[in-house]
Amino acid sequence: MAVLTGQQSPDLQEPAGWRRTKNRIATILMWLSFVLAIVPLIFVLYTVIAKGISVISWQFLTSPIPPSVLPADAGGVGPAVLGTLEITALATVIAVPLGILGAVYLHEYGGGNWLSRFIGFMADVMTGVPSIIMGLFIFSIWVLKFGFSGLAGAFALGALMLPIVIRSTDEMLKLVPDTLREGSYALGASKSRVTLTVVLPAGAAGIVSGALLAVARAAGETAPLLFTILGGLSTANPNPFSGANIALPMLIFQNASSPYPGAQARGWGSALTLIAIAFILMIAARFVTARYARYQR
Amino acid sequence: MAGAALTAMALSLAACSSSSTSSGGSSSGGSSSSLSGTLNASGSTFQLPFQQAAIQAFKSVQSGMTINYGGGGSGKGRSDLAAGVVQFAGSDSPIPSDEVGNFKGKTVLYFPVMLGPITMSYNLSGVSSLKLDLPTIANIFQGKIKTWNDPAIKALNPGVSLPSTPISLAVRSDSSGTTANFSLALTLGAASVWKLGTSSTISWPSSAHGGNGNGGVAQIVKSTPGAIGYVDYADAKAAGLSFASVKNQAGNYIAPSPSSASAAGSTVTLKPDLTFAAAWSSNPQAYPITYQSWDLVFQKQSSANTAKMLKAYIGYLLGDGQKLLQPLGYAPLPSNILSQAKAQLSKIGS
Amino acid sequence: MSTATQADQAAPGSVPARGLTAGPGLGDRGFRWLALGSGLLVLVILVLIAISTSQQAASWFSTEGWGIFGTVWDPAANKFGATPFIYGTAVTGVIALVMAVPVSIGIALLLTEVVPFRIARPIVYVVDLLAVVPSVVWGLWGILVFAPWIQHIYADIGSAVTGIPVLENLFGPPTSGASFFTAGIILAFMITPIVTSLSREVIATVPAVDREGAYALGATRVEMIRGVVWPHSQGGVVGAVLLGLGRAMGETIAAALVIGSSPTITSHLFSTGYNMPSVIANQFGEATGVFRSALLGLGVLLFAFTIIVNVIARAIVERSARRARGA
Repeated sequence: MAVLTGQQSPDLQEPAGWRRTKNRIATILMWLSFVLAIVPLIFVLYTVIAKGISVISWQFLTSPIPPSVLPADAGGVGPAVLGTLEITALATVIAVPLGILGAVYLHEYGGGNWLSRFIGFMADVMTGVPSIIMGLFIFSIWVLKFGFSGLAGAFALGALMLPIVIRSTDEMLKLVPDTLREGSYALGASKSRVTLTVVLPAGAAGIVSGALLAVARAAGETAPLLFTILGGLSTANPNPFSGANIALPMLIFQNASSPYPGAQARGWGSALTLIAIAFILMIAARFVTARYARYQR
Repeated sequence: MAGAALTAMALSLAACSSSSTSSGGSSSGGSSSSLSGTLNASGSTFQLPFQQAAIQAFKSVQSGMTINYGGGGSGKGRSDLAAGVVQFAGSDSPIPSDEVGNFKGKTVLYFPVMLGPITMSYNLSGVSSLKLDLPTIANIFQGKIKTWNDPAIKALNPGVSLPSTPISLAVRSDSSGTTANFSLALTLGAASVWKLGTSSTISWPSSAHGGNGNGGVAQIVKSTPGAIGYVDYADAKAAGLSFASVKNQAGNYIAPSPSSASAAGSTVTLKPDLTFAAAWSSNPQAYPITYQSWDLVFQKQSSANTAKMLKAYIGYLLGDGQKLLQPLGYAPLPSNILSQAKAQLSKIGS
Repeated sequence: MSTATQADQAAPGSVPARGLTAGPGLGDRGFRWLALGSGLLVLVILVLIAISTSQQAASWFSTEGWGIFGTVWDPAANKFGATPFIYGTAVTGVIALVMAVPVSIGIALLLTEVVPFRIARPIVYVVDLLAVVPSVVWGLWGILVFAPWIQHIYADIGSAVTGIPVLENLFGPPTSGASFFTAGIILAFMITPIVTSLSREVIATVPAVDREGAYALGATRVEMIRGVVWPHSQGGVVGAVLLGLGRAMGETIAAALVIGSSPTITSHLFSTGYNMPSVIANQFGEATGVFRSALLGLGVLLFAFTIIVNVIARAIVERSARRARGA
């Protein structure tokens, strides 16, 4: 280090003593928080996998639901698997296009005016509304008139997914460079054409990935279904538009209060199935982003 | 073990019924013609194991019918029936006066289907037998007796070493016919001590742990050392719980069982609408906290097919279905009640 | 080659020339209205929720008046006071925050200040895994595995503090593994991912210049955090914490399974309790008349609380983000 003549050299050593110790303690605490956060995660995943893996089989995923008293190998959770797939698919079909269109309005047409900012703000607020409220809402305006059905459940889940899809699509649209849009306008294309044929495809990876995460969230929700699909089935209902239905989260909720080992085992098996579904969707979302995304933050 | 017995029972019964009736594709009408459609039901969790077994067995009688029984508690069943969401509801108590208005004046038929004991299930390691009487039970569930070695419990169980473990109460958090009948028995048998009334929902002491359905209470008792809860016999037996013998009106300590429940059923006064209460029976062999359950149906159905399906299924419950009861831990109906219930089937119309 | 000729011709097979002054066509306008409608759907749904649930709850409000905030909930006696549930929601929310906030901020600081980017990515993935576990699975594990285990710990703590004045009232002996405290712990597990990710976003907006300046002056990491990061991001972190509170208040299923289902107002944190979403979930199926109206009324209160908390939180986060961007 160059030393200026006539001046004291700057103290460039490591801070010593108490300051260093404080720093070390702080770093240890930060690592400790991480460990504290993942300890319950490890326990939950370990328990679900350990107790669920012995139950899961193709037969488990397709057989009708037996009486709670019977042991785990006496049946399965087929109706609930079908119900989850049907209802979540229906919710996705309802919520994703509407969500994408909503984000298109916010970003492409709204242009930052007060309405689009307000809608964006309220969409964020809506992601914080408890899912049970969505269930109560659909119960009040639909189930009371049209009865319990998978469709009602799909409406409730769709209402839950809508703000998530809007937000993630909006984020994606922000990343698509304006030069793309401007070039298309310069070629004489109308706004709808630009959006549909240039912007959305450009952001497709991020939009798809955001939608997949919303689906993962919806597939795991119980409370909206409690008030909309009735449950109680032992055989599958392949028609999501009419008649009571059942889904994996609801089955787990019922079996969590059961004292019978068979019912509890079916609960663990369903929990493993549900986590596997959510996990696969999450991995798919990240894969789509990693592999196909043209624009990332 | 119970599960294997249940499956064997259901399968053999199904085999019996399919070979004895002339059901099949013949379209010549008559009482054994094949029906198709769906019946939805919900309600009493007391009935739930029976309904699940009967639904499975009934498949070989009427393979075209699908029946779903959702449980959820007697209160839920009554409210679903009133809302028209289900075609029949399981309820362990008659419709209380404050719910009558929900049925909008339509006549509801009560079909009794079974009897059974409510056990006082407990979780105390090292204590394999316990005797209780209704006043002591009343004080336990009002929070006045707080530990297992309380003098009141000790007095009833000389020779049993009771630990000083605090008592944890396991109760129902949902509107329950089991709660209604349990509180009825306490009102009748411990009138001077029990102050919390008779109802489907009771204001239990604040430290009580509420569970959903009989299964939920059974689960709480099973997993909480020092717990005591009221669970129907079928669920308690299937969950492997220990339960107490209770002193009846004649002064005998009776253990809950299908036979002591039948004894309680032999002394009931049947009302014209087929409601009755089996609690606090005078029979010396009767278990004092016995109760009953009905399937509630609207007299006038919206479609002829639904009426036919209901007659077929409830007729089954009152006929061959009664054979399913004892192995599960319920008591079949006494013959006089059974014959009147069967006669009422013809009233279901459209 | 005459460029004028070429420019005059339309390119073969292309979009017919529309002219440079033509406004949006019919299809284009239709698309715009469609997009606008979809966007407005958010507002429409929120308003409809408020209206429809309040309508159904009207008979509760009119029957009880201010008694809706009574302390007794007894359906058999037709008394529907909401306070036990508001109390339970508040208590479990506070317990969840007390546990989750330090952990979440710790992880956020770990990710922004300590670990290099390559390690940060997997750590973020792992923390996000906490959010992938559905609420009902937390509840299933909570009631079947966690509650029986923690009951022993409660009993030990309970016997250890008998006699000590304040602690005895808070941590007295339990009757069950299900309690306010258990629900609070499970909620803490569940809100950690969201508070972490939002705090991290907020902390990341602190300008690198300020960070480096502090280091240049010889500050240790923790001193830099205290002096630079915290003043910049405290507003945003408060917003993130509030969002976590909103989430904890509304979390239904996990709480319903482990809270014990007993409507009481007590200082004993190890006692069974109840909170707003849990009672709605547990008792809705069987409720009719004023009872159902009361449950929907609890839903209205819950909706109002969470909207208020979320609006405040988002406003705070947005304001501090704007300030950090130099707006």
